[in-house]
Amino acid sequence: MKYVLLGAAAVTTLAAALLLGPANVPLGDLLGSPILWQLRLPRAVLAFLVGGALGVSGVGLQALVRNPLADPFLLGLSGGAGLGAVVAIALHLPGPWALPLAAFVGAVGAMALVYRLGLIGGAELDARILLLGGVAVGAFAAAITTALVSLAEATELRNAFLWLWGGFSGASWTTVLVILVYAPLPLVVLAAAARPLDLLALGEEPAQYLGADVRRLKQLVYLSASLLTAAAVAVAGVIGFVGLIVPHVCRLLWGRLHHTLFPTAFLTGGILLAAADTLARTVVAPRELPVGIVTALLGVPLFAFLLRRWTVS
Amino acid sequence: MRRWVQRTHLAGFVALTLTACARGEHVPFRGGIAVTDDAGRRVTLAAPARRIVSLLPSFTEILFAIGAGDRVVGRTTWCDYPPEALAVPSVGDGMPPSVEAVAARRPDLVLLYRSGPNVTAAEQLERLGIRTVLVDLNRLEELGPAARRIGALTGHSRAADSLAHVMDSLASQPPAPGTQSLVFIVWDNPPIVIGAGSYLDRLAALAGARNVFHDLSSPSAQVSIETIAARDPDFVALLSDSALPPGYASRPEWRVVRAVRARRFLFLSGQLFGRPGPRAAQAIRELRRRLAGTP
Repeated sequence: MKYVLLGAAAVTTLAAALLLGPANVPLGDLLGSPILWQLRLPRAVLAFLVGGALGVSGVGLQALVRNPLADPFLLGLSGGAGLGAVVAIALHLPGPWALPLAAFVGAVGAMALVYRLGLIGGAELDARILLLGGVAVGAFAAAITTALVSLAEATELRNAFLWLWGGFSGASWTTVLVILVYAPLPLVVLAAAARPLDLLALGEEPAQYLGADVRRLKQLVYLSASLLTAAAVAVAGVIGFVGLIVPHVCRLLWGRLHHTLFPTAFLTGGILLAAADTLARTVVAPRELPVGIVTALLGVPLFAFLLRRWTVS
Repeated sequence: MRRWVQRTHLAGFVALTLTACARGEHVPFRGGIAVTDDAGRRVTLAAPARRIVSLLPSFTEILFAIGAGDRVVGRTTWCDYPPEALAVPSVGDGMPPSVEAVAARRPDLVLLYRSGPNVTAAEQLERLGIRTVLVDLNRLEELGPAARRIGALTGHSRAADSLAHVMDSLASQPPAPGTQSLVFIVWDNPPIVIGAGSYLDRLAALAGARNVFHDLSSPSAQVSIETIAARDPDFVALLSDSALPPGYASRPEWRVVRAVRARRFLFLSGQLFGRPGPRAAQAIRELRRRLAGTP
């Protein structure tokens, strides 16, 4: 029943995203309108895919570091992406793809650095060092970013920050294609790791005894979750809360087994972000809200409600 | 040494004000100048300012326009008009102002645009004994009052008042008749446009073009491409010194906007259009000419 409801919610959200918008397009003209095919549809699909990617990435990372506070952007990725974007603008790299590509490179660079730090204790990734290293690398990247911003031309860089705060203004079929290229491989890897991740929840040693290759598992999960997040940053900037809240919501509603957590987190993340973007486009029309604000405004009360229900029961 | 000199100046000034008050005279004292700035501070000078640092391109243009250009001893890197201004030493980009660089020009008056960081900088300069004035200058209507006060502080009241008169009458004109519409796009991702309550909105109205986002009360706002497409402006106006179409012009999501598809861009030079200044009338004529020249 819960699954049917989830599917229905996904369909309803996508339909609402296509029907609602600041421009008043009569229903009869909608199918022939470029506003539907070039703006609303790619934007709704992109928001759904990014939300799904962030939700799955959050599940993977929280399982990996066994810390409920882990967020895809806590591991230094947003700092790296910001640095990449600001460098692209400061160097006046040409072309519409320079900024997203630089953000992706920055996020992957930060990921590599944190990964290397995580291996400091030996050949096995240390979850605590991953978290600390992520925070440290993020702060370091943010410091370089701020230095660049204060030294370079201000207006352009202020606009780079607007982009980084996240949103789907730049959505087109090309950006949908980008996430469709990057996302499937890490999604498949994570889905295949569902069973060993269940074992990891028991602790690293028990998981090892039960036959999981913990060392390899941690590496694969970390790299896949980070790649998903980096792809999301490249097309939509940094959108917080989805990766933090969606895994909790799904664990509360569907339990802790990863073979159900991954698909439900994908759908829940997609629904949350597509709905948030529809609200961002419409509630203050003709103006638009940054979507990150809406995800926080929607996500936090929902989260508080579920937490309360969970602690009461 | 310099600081000591400034301290004694400050002490002398305080002593002077105290004696003035002790004698029961109100500020402005005889022969002095007093204006109230936009931060509500009363700024008094014993004599017209001789060494002025201007921390906004608009102020620099006004100073040169009223004949006080020879009093300007410091400017920002953005102050590039008139060309003579470039001969004045720069004190940096002014965002925020370097208090030391400004003080090193030994000014007796610093003109600052009223913003958070500038209010702090003004307090720091005042502590060094340097007089400061904080002025709002975002809209056409604010040019006249700004010019009047700058004229009073520099002893060029006559020229400043006549400039202010021209600016005031420009600001009180009704919108010029015209059927064309435009959108000012400041940034493409996320799309930021200019709304009412801005200098550019007024310029467009006086040039006979309707800003399609005139209903937004803030100077600028984030909107969606969909809204721009639905409002269907005839032109996309950009502050740009080159005539190269912007990078987004060829992207499919932007081509939903008719003016982008038809490449109807108005490239407006940042020096003339990007700041409120004495050349407002010239900017309006230029915009009108560009609108008329494009079918």
